[in-house]
Amino acid sequence: MTTTTAEKTTTSAAGQIRAGRGGVVVVQRRSNKPHMGQGLAKGMAVVIKHFADALLKRNDSRDEISGMFTVEYPEEVLALPETYRNMPVLLYDDETGHELCTSCFQCERVCPPQVIHITQAKNPETGKPVPAAAEFIIEYDSCMSCGYCAEVCPFDAIKMDHYFELSTPNHLAMDVHKEALNRPVSYYATIAPNLWAEVRDTALKKLQNNIKRRPGTIGVAPQALGKVAAKTPAAKVAPGAAPGAQAAPSAAPAKPVAAIGKNMPPEKVARLEAIRAANRARRGAAAGAPSHHEQQVQLAEEPVLSSAPPQGAAGPGAAPGLGGAAPSTGPGEDMPSDKRARLEAIRAANRARREGEGPAAADAPVQSAAEPAPVQDGAVPAAEPDKDMPDEKRARLEAIRAANRARRREQEGS
Amino acid sequence: MIAGTFTGTIKTEELQINIGPQHPSTHGVFRMITRIDGETILGLEPVFGYLHRNHEQLGEVSSYLQIIPFTDRLDYFNSMPNNQGYCMAVEKLAGIEVPERAEYIRVIMAELSRIQNHATALGFMLNDMGAMGTPLLYGFREREKILDLFEAASGARMMCSYMRFGGVARDIDDEWLGELKKLMVGLPAFFDEFERLLSENEILLSRARNVGILPKAVALDYSVTGPLLRGSGIPYDVRRAEPYSVYDRFGFDVVVGSVGDIYDRYLVRVEEMRQSLRILEQAVQQLPDASGGHLNPKVKQQSIRPPAGEAYARVETPKGELGFYLVSDGSGRPYRYKIRAPSFINLTALSDLARGHKVADLVVILGSIDIVMGEVDR
Repeated sequence: MTTTTAEKTTTSAAGQIRAGRGGVVVVQRRSNKPHMGQGLAKGMAVVIKHFADALLKRNDSRDEISGMFTVEYPEEVLALPETYRNMPVLLYDDETGHELCTSCFQCERVCPPQVIHITQAKNPETGKPVPAAAEFIIEYDSCMSCGYCAEVCPFDAIKMDHYFELSTPNHLAMDVHKEALNRPVSYYATIAPNLWAEVRDTALKKLQNNIKRRPGTIGVAPQALGKVAAKTPAAKVAPGAAPGAQAAPSAAPAKPVAAIGKNMPPEKVARLEAIRAANRARRGAAAGAPSHHEQQVQLAEEPVLSSAPPQGAAGPGAAPGLGGAAPSTGPGEDMPSDKRARLEAIRAANRARREGEGPAAADAPVQSAAEPAPVQDGAVPAAEPDKDMPDEKRARLEAIRAANRARRREQEGS
Repeated sequence: MIAGTFTGTIKTEELQINIGPQHPSTHGVFRMITRIDGETILGLEPVFGYLHRNHEQLGEVSSYLQIIPFTDRLDYFNSMPNNQGYCMAVEKLAGIEVPERAEYIRVIMAELSRIQNHATALGFMLNDMGAMGTPLLYGFREREKILDLFEAASGARMMCSYMRFGGVARDIDDEWLGELKKLMVGLPAFFDEFERLLSENEILLSRARNVGILPKAVALDYSVTGPLLRGSGIPYDVRRAEPYSVYDRFGFDVVVGSVGDIYDRYLVRVEEMRQSLRILEQAVQQLPDASGGHLNPKVKQQSIRPPAGEAYARVETPKGELGFYLVSDGSGRPYRYKIRAPSFINLTALSDLARGHKVADLVVILGSIDIVMGEVDR
């Protein structure tokens, strides 16, 4: 090796100029003597060493420079840092179903490519604006993931999602509407437990204040509507009791559900465990036994996810804790009987509503929500033809669908 | 032609050919109109503008804060120094103070950026030379570790948007610093290995030595900067010539070459990576604790309105001197926003560098300049 280290060269190199701290180094060129391939042999030795190392050992540490580095995506997915930002999503409270967004337009204003479009909700009786968003559209195709919207949001309503498998053949599906943007707070708490723990208390406090100014179900996430219907009457009947009733639930949803990734470093796991223990202790001190609240969280998630699973929340691996909460899951074994009964009632009501509204309503969330990638083997649920559709158009649609069905059958057969 | 009729002289003719705009070795959409005589280049006219995105005009209709993510897209290999240069210009314009810790974080990020840029730039240059993939992947391996750190700090690997007026967007924690220290332990081994792999490689020597020489005087005439200028033997580095941020507190050497050929540029880049590591070690050691904050809390990031005036700030990015010129009329948007892009100015020297060389060498010469078309065309 003819290259000397920086310190050595500073003192030995000819023609160096002193300026400030440190000088000027002239790089040393290799000798002009003809080589007989020694340089090539040296290089090949490096390559062969790496080839052997790659077969023999795995490398997960930053201070090593050899060994197998790559992971076999998609079977193996690296843990993302909490701060990772991909696409913005909206949060809603698991318990009350209320969206945190108050349509203050801060994000719309700061967005550099100007892809956020908000419509403020209005009170249908008085016509006055309500602190809630009637519609919220983000053009995912033009979003540059700078994270400004999440940074400026005073209500912590918009956050950067970690879900990145967004590719879709349908360009229009990248104009994402509110239903598809909504994520439960518990989902965000799983992907960024520490970041959420920092803002959780203020965010939920601000939300409680805003809920008071939202009449009816305005500001309730469409996903949570069925669940909230069972809850709001009680809140309406006894408004005085509402703050007390909501104090306990507001503590529950922030519990991080299975945030510990497989390949998380042990110190991070330890830190997470500590935070969770602290949270549990606080909740336990605040209201009742912790196990009770954990079940409440589970309960709260089920109807939410079964009505219209957001892509990110339902995606495999994106939220391992939520993935288990499939609608078919039976009530927990150790659940109190009254709770179980209530759950059964809610489910029955949901089933009835879904059947009553027919397939069109059941499919509507998928269509209108402009899901980023709901297309599975071309099995896009077809919308029921509109009632006021001209007959010939309807016939044409039917023909296209029949052809598509035939093609799909053929593909499945082959 | 029948061999028997060959008389010893062949009448040749100048030929004009286009290399690019779509060409794997042009590092983007870049066109070179070359006049060649056989394989020898007689003249070359670079044509750019295919990637023009109205960056400067867009800056004049965006608020000051909104420009930061756009600067990521200039030289997309080095979003950190780009952010830094722009934020420094606004800070100069508005008279914003930056907490010391933020300055150190900026230096750490900028030097990490330099290491990963040089590692990949050398890889791409060798790719152009015919060493398909292997050296590039060695560089990419180190780059990957650095980008992981960027991701953990800023949230994005390449489009970091990490700097803000008066600091950085988010503080770094001890966990992050621990990872950085681990990385710094591994880096010297990488440099040595990279040199063992290539510096004495006979193919590299024969392709790079005395090819594409840029004489000192010509380099000054074109006002090229960065490793291209230093490779020609002129010790000019903005970090030394006009120390910004906290660069006056670190000991490091300005690396220069002696001949000014491709080989010198290669050696300068390798040595600059070592110098960057030196700066990193000092910066991590001197990093103040978090009590001073990482962001000036008095600055209203979204509604910043600098007083009327103008400011020019320049930083030494891995490509060369990057300058941001801003004119304010007192409103929330810059009245004029201009960038001195190092890739763009370095590229103008290409016709002089390539004249008299073979077409195959032209590709290597272009690779040794280290351009990013996002910065050339803006």
